[in-house]
Amino acid sequence: MKLSLIKFILPVLLFLLAQDVFAQKTVTYHLYVRDTIVNFTGKQKHAIAVNGQIPMPTLTFTQGDTAVIYVHNELKESTSLHWHGVFLPNQEDGVPYLTQMPIEPGEVYTYRFPIIQHGTHWYHSHSELQEQIGMYGSMILKKRDNDPIFRKGIDDLPTVPLILSEWTDYKPHNVERMLHIATDWFAMRKDAVQSYGEAIKAGHFKTKLGNEWKRMLAMDVSDVYYDKFLVNGNADRIFSPKEGNRVRLRISNAGASTNFWLRYAGGKITVVANDGNDVEPVEVDRVLIAVSETYDVVVSIPDNKIAYEFMATSEDRIGSSSVYIGDGVRQLISPLPRLKYFEGMKMMNDMMKMNGDLDDMGMNMSLNQMDMNVVMYPEITGPANKKKGKMDHAGMDGDSNRGHDMHGGHSMEDQYNSNKLSDIVTLNYAMLRSPENTSLPEGPVRELRFELTGNMNRYVWSLDNQVLSEADKILIKKGENVRIIMFNNSMMRHPMHLHGHDFRVLNGQGVNAPLKNIIDIMPMETDTLEFHANVYGDWFFHCHILYHMMSGMGKVFTYDNQPKNPLIKKSSYARRKLFSDDRAFHFMAENDFATNGNDGMFMLQNTRWSIGTEWRLGYNDMHGYETETHIGRYIGRMQWLMVFAGFDWRYRKEGIDSHEENLFGQTNSKDDRAQFTLGFAYTLPMLVEFQTEVFQNGNVRIQLMREDIPITKRIRMGFMVNSDVEYMAELRYIFNPYVALRTHYDSDMGFGVGLNIGY
Amino acid sequence: MKSRSYIMTGLFLLLSISLSAQLSNTKTETAKVFGNCGMCEDKIETAGTEKKVSEVSWNKDTKTATISYDSKQTSKDAVLKKIALAGYDNEAYLAPDDVYQKLPACCHYARNKETPAENASGHDHNAMAVAQDSGPLKQVTDSYFELKDALVQSSGELASKKAKSFYDALAAIKMESLKGESHDAWMKVNGQLKEDAEHISETKDISHQRDHFNSLSKSMYALLKASPAQATIYYQHCPMFNDGKGGNWLSKENGIKNPFYGSQMLTCGKTVETLK
Repeated sequence: MKLSLIKFILPVLLFLLAQDVFAQKTVTYHLYVRDTIVNFTGKQKHAIAVNGQIPMPTLTFTQGDTAVIYVHNELKESTSLHWHGVFLPNQEDGVPYLTQMPIEPGEVYTYRFPIIQHGTHWYHSHSELQEQIGMYGSMILKKRDNDPIFRKGIDDLPTVPLILSEWTDYKPHNVERMLHIATDWFAMRKDAVQSYGEAIKAGHFKTKLGNEWKRMLAMDVSDVYYDKFLVNGNADRIFSPKEGNRVRLRISNAGASTNFWLRYAGGKITVVANDGNDVEPVEVDRVLIAVSETYDVVVSIPDNKIAYEFMATSEDRIGSSSVYIGDGVRQLISPLPRLKYFEGMKMMNDMMKMNGDLDDMGMNMSLNQMDMNVVMYPEITGPANKKKGKMDHAGMDGDSNRGHDMHGGHSMEDQYNSNKLSDIVTLNYAMLRSPENTSLPEGPVRELRFELTGNMNRYVWSLDNQVLSEADKILIKKGENVRIIMFNNSMMRHPMHLHGHDFRVLNGQGVNAPLKNIIDIMPMETDTLEFHANVYGDWFFHCHILYHMMSGMGKVFTYDNQPKNPLIKKSSYARRKLFSDDRAFHFMAENDFATNGNDGMFMLQNTRWSIGTEWRLGYNDMHGYETETHIGRYIGRMQWLMVFAGFDWRYRKEGIDSHEENLFGQTNSKDDRAQFTLGFAYTLPMLVEFQTEVFQNGNVRIQLMREDIPITKRIRMGFMVNSDVEYMAELRYIFNPYVALRTHYDSDMGFGVGLNIGY
Repeated sequence: MKSRSYIMTGLFLLLSISLSAQLSNTKTETAKVFGNCGMCEDKIETAGTEKKVSEVSWNKDTKTATISYDSKQTSKDAVLKKIALAGYDNEAYLAPDDVYQKLPACCHYARNKETPAENASGHDHNAMAVAQDSGPLKQVTDSYFELKDALVQSSGELASKKAKSFYDALAAIKMESLKGESHDAWMKVNGQLKEDAEHISETKDISHQRDHFNSLSKSMYALLKASPAQATIYYQHCPMFNDGKGGNWLSKENGIKNPFYGSQMLTCGKTVETLK
């Protein structure tokens, strides 16, 4: 009776209360999720809009309210919404197949939870890759005016919510696929291929050689090339406060895989809150906001006739987006100069051991205080030391090489401490201090250690070399204090996010350790976090880089003896669906339509498995026809080793190359052969693939192969040679991710030129 | 493939004839752009001009830019932003301060907005703040630190200017204002100090300046060690300078900012003595 009454009154209340200023009330939003067409780059592309807009509408609540949010799914696929950084009952958390079943097309789903905190948060779809194409929005939880921790001069300032994001014209599933097949198309778009040609020109040939010796691909600070960067879905807006000369910006980074540098043309930036939690004001020149973090900053307007640029630049510095704070002529800030990639490559070479582990050389890195990337920042470590090209700086030091060769003897740690190297003050986590005592309540301490692992070559990202589907849930007990010690042994930084809880970051501020729900951990860093286990549920803990999460970089915390989630009825089905993301196979195929035949391959790969077929089909019997099919499993963290079983078939009339005896004296008819095979492939230094296999007739074949040696930005070289005295050399010129011009010489089929079409 | 390239070449030829330096959907507007000289004109026009997109012609006397652009591809606002990013304030945008600072001296037009202290990075500001106690050597010490900071920034041009003010400060010293040991030290080093300062001010070649700065710093050290201290000063040493013979300098801070290498080796060195 009571319930139906509430249901009846609710729609009426919704309109009345939406603009009401009193706390302790229900605030209702209706969100209509629809497919839409957007045009950010001059091309019409598919995206998802909510209530007709990208980003989704800003949701505003006051601490003490009850949030009721109706999600109307008008898409042709399922969806979900996760309230990022918000404390709520587990079944409102919005992770499909973990805390709820997905919201199916046509369904109207209700999220309902009390608002028991304040701060800048955001919300986004947790389904597949929907976050990349529009499903993100700001969520502002206001303090009550009479709250004892209300900060005069900060909490009463005019406020602008800013939500940062990025746009790519590629479909996000294609982006994901391209990352998994390790195309360097994104690097080409960024002009960051770091080919041998470019290395020689920059005087870094040895660096490039060292890099490939250690089996690394070109280094970068992010994986995806984006066409546009967006603030509130749009570039270049102006905000002018009606009164006063200070503004509070509530900034959320909703980028799927982009960290942003925040800088301001009107002076220092005062950081007042992070991840929705107040921090003692700290003045800095710039902040790197990691994927999914939020920062509240206060900026002032020195001259009321000028609007000052507040710029968010992508970490790879390919692009930026700005808003202008104030009124009048716009004061610009200099764009950040291009990264010195080869310096970064050199740094990575030094840090990488031959076995793929990272070596911090005893520097005990943590909390972003030491940023190895400073070697790439011209504004901190000076412009690139080019042999050719113009020098912009009149007084550049002529004998800089002398300095570089000798720095081994000096303090290693200062070499990477951005704040000691220059006058530019960059925020790091050690500078964050909570205004309150954040000590955890008494409780037994549970210590967990995680190693962040992964490899770029195959785009596999994991914790302790286990992807989500390979690991058990982590069982914790209510009332425990869980301490997590994390070490990043991978080459990328990872913003690790915990659902449903804030954790303390042990950063040297004692009882005033700051509270966060994301920690961005750089390669080689070790960070310690702790949180009080106080709310039942299955809580996701994962890397918030969307494509890392989809490849399985996460774990689930679950409570001992917790009540069953009533929304998950078929738990084994749900688990299978949850794991399907990182179990998915990615498809690639290519064929070279050449003058001497068709060369091609197709491949299906996931975290551990690879199924592939290669073919070489001549146009006549003399050239022959052959195919090789392999099903293999990758072994080890770096996945340099793959063992496989396969089947070879070939047919040829005595042709150009009449070798029938291999280097081991075994004869081997190429004219008609159908053989099963067992073998392994191992990636050697210089990224050469060494393959050994035994055929069912006892024949052995050893093969060395290297593809995609970057000669220039667009030219790739490759070769193959094996113990059947077959060999091949190729050159290709890449037009786009799908088309290349290829010329090759093959011992069976001779010289050929063709068009290589790939997917 | 081939036929396509023929067509392309054909099209190109046609286009370049009909469009020789012309734009389609042309809109022409004028805008106020500040600047000084012929070099400014060059920079403004280059910054605002993009083939087949926009053309800018700037009038030095009226400080007016005539902007023609393809309205389908760009806007007046976008062109003015590019001009500002090249260092030139205009009606829509103000140039970033560091870009303005880097313009050649002749291009330093008077800015409408109050420019923050000459040096945006705050070095000068610090230099003013320390050594409040004014002794007879205060001016000399202050300008020494400014010279050092210019070398830390690897700016030969700025170092030359600062060396000149350092020289002027030396010249203004009245011998009789210095007492006892301080007086003796002054007599010993002031000739050498002036000579080094002159050398630094006469060149913009930073490596030459640094050689003299090494010698100048040794004299300064001798002078300040013998004089009553006004503020804590750190005597610092970089073992690498001068092919491993090392170089010394004085600093107000204990942290190392190496004037011999600047950003290349900013933190190379250590404090060898603290003068109080």
